[in-house]
Amino acid sequence: MSSEHRPEIGSTVAIQKSAFNALLNNLKEQGYEAIGPHVKNETLVYEPITALEDLPRGYVTEQEAGHFRLIYLGHSRYFDVIPGAQSWKQFLFPSRKELFSLTKNDGGWKMEEGEKGTPAYAFIGVRGCELAAIQIQDNIFLRSDFNDPIYRARRERAFILSVNCLHPAGTCFCVSMGTGPRVNSGYDLNLTELEDVFLLTIGSESGRGALTGVPLEAANGFVLNAANRALEHSASQMGRKMDTSDLPELILNHLDDPYWRSIGERCLSCANCTQVCPTCFCWDTLDTLSLDGNETRRTRVWDSCFNPGYSYQAGGNTRPTIHSRYRQWLSHKLGNWKQQFGTLGCVGCGRCITWCPAAIDITAEVVALREETSR
Amino acid sequence: MDSLEELKDELRKIPWFRELTPQHLDKIARIAHLQQVKAGEVLFREGDKEENVYIVLEGRIALDMFVPPRGKVRFYTAEAWEVVGWSSVTPTVRQRTAGASAVTDGLLAAIDAEKLRQACEEDHDLGYLTMRRLANIVASRLMVTRLQLLDIFAEPEEKHVK
Amino acid sequence: MTTPVTNIKFASHADRLLEPVWAEITAITPEAEGISTYWLKFVDPAAQAAYSFLPGQFNMVYLPGFGEAAISVSSDSEDRSLVGHTIRFVGNVTRAVSRLKVGDVVGIRGPFGAAWPMQEIEGRDVIIAAGGIGLAPLRPPIYYIMNHRERFGKVYLLYGARTPSDLLYPNEYKKWEQAGIQVQITVDRADENWQGQVGVVPMLFYRFRMNPESVVLTCGPEIMIRFVVYEGLARRIPAENIYVSLERNMKCGQGSCGHCQLGPYFICKDGPVFRFDTLESFFNVEEF
Repeated sequence: MSSEHRPEIGSTVAIQKSAFNALLNNLKEQGYEAIGPHVKNETLVYEPITALEDLPRGYVTEQEAGHFRLIYLGHSRYFDVIPGAQSWKQFLFPSRKELFSLTKNDGGWKMEEGEKGTPAYAFIGVRGCELAAIQIQDNIFLRSDFNDPIYRARRERAFILSVNCLHPAGTCFCVSMGTGPRVNSGYDLNLTELEDVFLLTIGSESGRGALTGVPLEAANGFVLNAANRALEHSASQMGRKMDTSDLPELILNHLDDPYWRSIGERCLSCANCTQVCPTCFCWDTLDTLSLDGNETRRTRVWDSCFNPGYSYQAGGNTRPTIHSRYRQWLSHKLGNWKQQFGTLGCVGCGRCITWCPAAIDITAEVVALREETSR
Repeated sequence: MDSLEELKDELRKIPWFRELTPQHLDKIARIAHLQQVKAGEVLFREGDKEENVYIVLEGRIALDMFVPPRGKVRFYTAEAWEVVGWSSVTPTVRQRTAGASAVTDGLLAAIDAEKLRQACEEDHDLGYLTMRRLANIVASRLMVTRLQLLDIFAEPEEKHVK
Repeated sequence: MTTPVTNIKFASHADRLLEPVWAEITAITPEAEGISTYWLKFVDPAAQAAYSFLPGQFNMVYLPGFGEAAISVSSDSEDRSLVGHTIRFVGNVTRAVSRLKVGDVVGIRGPFGAAWPMQEIEGRDVIIAAGGIGLAPLRPPIYYIMNHRERFGKVYLLYGARTPSDLLYPNEYKKWEQAGIQVQITVDRADENWQGQVGVVPMLFYRFRMNPESVVLTCGPEIMIRFVVYEGLARRIPAENIYVSLERNMKCGQGSCGHCQLGPYFICKDGPVFRFDTLESFFNVEEF
């Protein structure tokens, strides 16, 4: 197959794994900063990568409620490891962003923008659940009545190379939430890793452009079948599942149930779940003042509904107990989110289960609530 | 001076009295009288023996209690059609637990409490209607009292972390 | 309830997130102990000409270095010369505002929120039930009604505060009465000089006969709102005719940061004015 032939949007091609770096170089030349999974401090993080070799080849993760281990098995696949605590949220919705600073000037204030310029990220290795989370956050940050200029600028520039997930981990339940393991849309390129080649489905003009000069091969029926079989097998290997047929009503009709107190006794209100969750979007503003009072900065930072001071009125804290805050989180994520944004807020990535120090598992909690309330 | 018919006319203005049969209205009218008050006039004091239960027809009656060292604290005002001194109709309470005074000039219907209790004993239908009305009055006073007790406008203690 | 189309410069599509527009304090009216009204005029005359709000909406008032506070606009929505904010000094930001003087400048973002449904309630009797500082977001509807008195039926203002010195806008009650609004005032606790009613706002519902076709607009401490709603429902006013204005801490004012959420609603965007039937299913859930 000639490399001058440009594949159509929607078509699938194959590339040798050794050709992947040419793709990364294209992205670099087009001005993107490639971000991908990387092993660091015995865990997986999303950091800038420059070559395929930066990826966690040979690793798997062992994930259970309150348990995460990165294990080196020595296999030959680059994209086969389920992510750690980080998600792509931190790039489109940074955890700390200076909005502007004001300096006293002649009786008024002079405004300076926080950081000028917007990075153009190429996300390498976005799983189906993660892409669904990005699309959910699009509904939150990009609306007709309000849009967040920070998110918009980064999102418009972002290049997404997604990955069909072939080896789910112990806390995964994307099948239950309809977000994976196959990625269906919303990408520039979608990758399936087979033993010898990468299959790439072209999702957009940017995706086509990234393949300029990269030696492409036809994706024949054999490899396409292998990919499909691998995806079917993957869908059957999910570590968890969640029956969503009675959501959100199951939760919204039982807000008064004593069951919430039992979770409250276990939950530490540590806010880990909200930090690792790729759809949680709450934020706060920090105002700092220089000692001489002449300069002030406004910074936006992540916040969490588990923080005690998160919600208050003139009478005091509206959710002073842990169980009321846990109920707020779950009744939002699997409940009121639907009315607000059209879908449930959970994508089935399992991070909240893995990273909860009290090993609270929302798939088990939904089952327990269902049993409690059906008595 | 008022005649029995004039008194009945005044009583019929009170919404609850319209539910009474002519016989019941007559019974009550015979143990009641109209009383005019001037602004500032004391109707009764805390500790007084109970004599009448009053229904405000015109004006405003304030209820108060003496709280050393704060002095007299006014905790409620009764407007037209409201009852003052309802506890005199119940079987157990025997002295006024609060004072009442007129804030403005006014007109009251005063019913002899002892005779009303007796009439209720003799005629249980009248008794039931009276006690039913009393229960509503007490319920609404309790609601008002609770909301005052909760001091809902008070400055909050800043307990929240921030 | 819809929010009006606003000049983009003021709020939701700002180039910089949370960017304020500067306004100068032209006058300060002390209203009660710890409460004053600040009359603002935008520094840029084009901004002043462009700014408008609907009764019930609020602005985020920004004091550089201290932060922002959500403050209802309490002036006449049809008077575009100044924008009035009645502010109670209760937190860090508002206490810092209390130290400002005429001529000082603050930042404004807004207007935000769903407004009182003044058009929808035309032709009806209106009962305005307010407690404490809750009269501030209800003053714009009062002015609107006065400006268009013939469009409404009987109008009642039922207002209460903790003590007589906590009552807001006492100098205006007579004007309001003269405009055909029946004003009933009560206090929780009287002082020696008080000749008015003593009791709570829900009690005022007992003091007159109301038509079940009436509309209730209410704002105040949440427990007062609960009992006002209770009294309205008890008098066969349907939940669809009761409007409440709620409060939660607000940060962005735009339905983005999440802090003001109550159930599915962002109080800053879907409220603060709500038709009560939309809240019924969870309003009484404790600590929700």
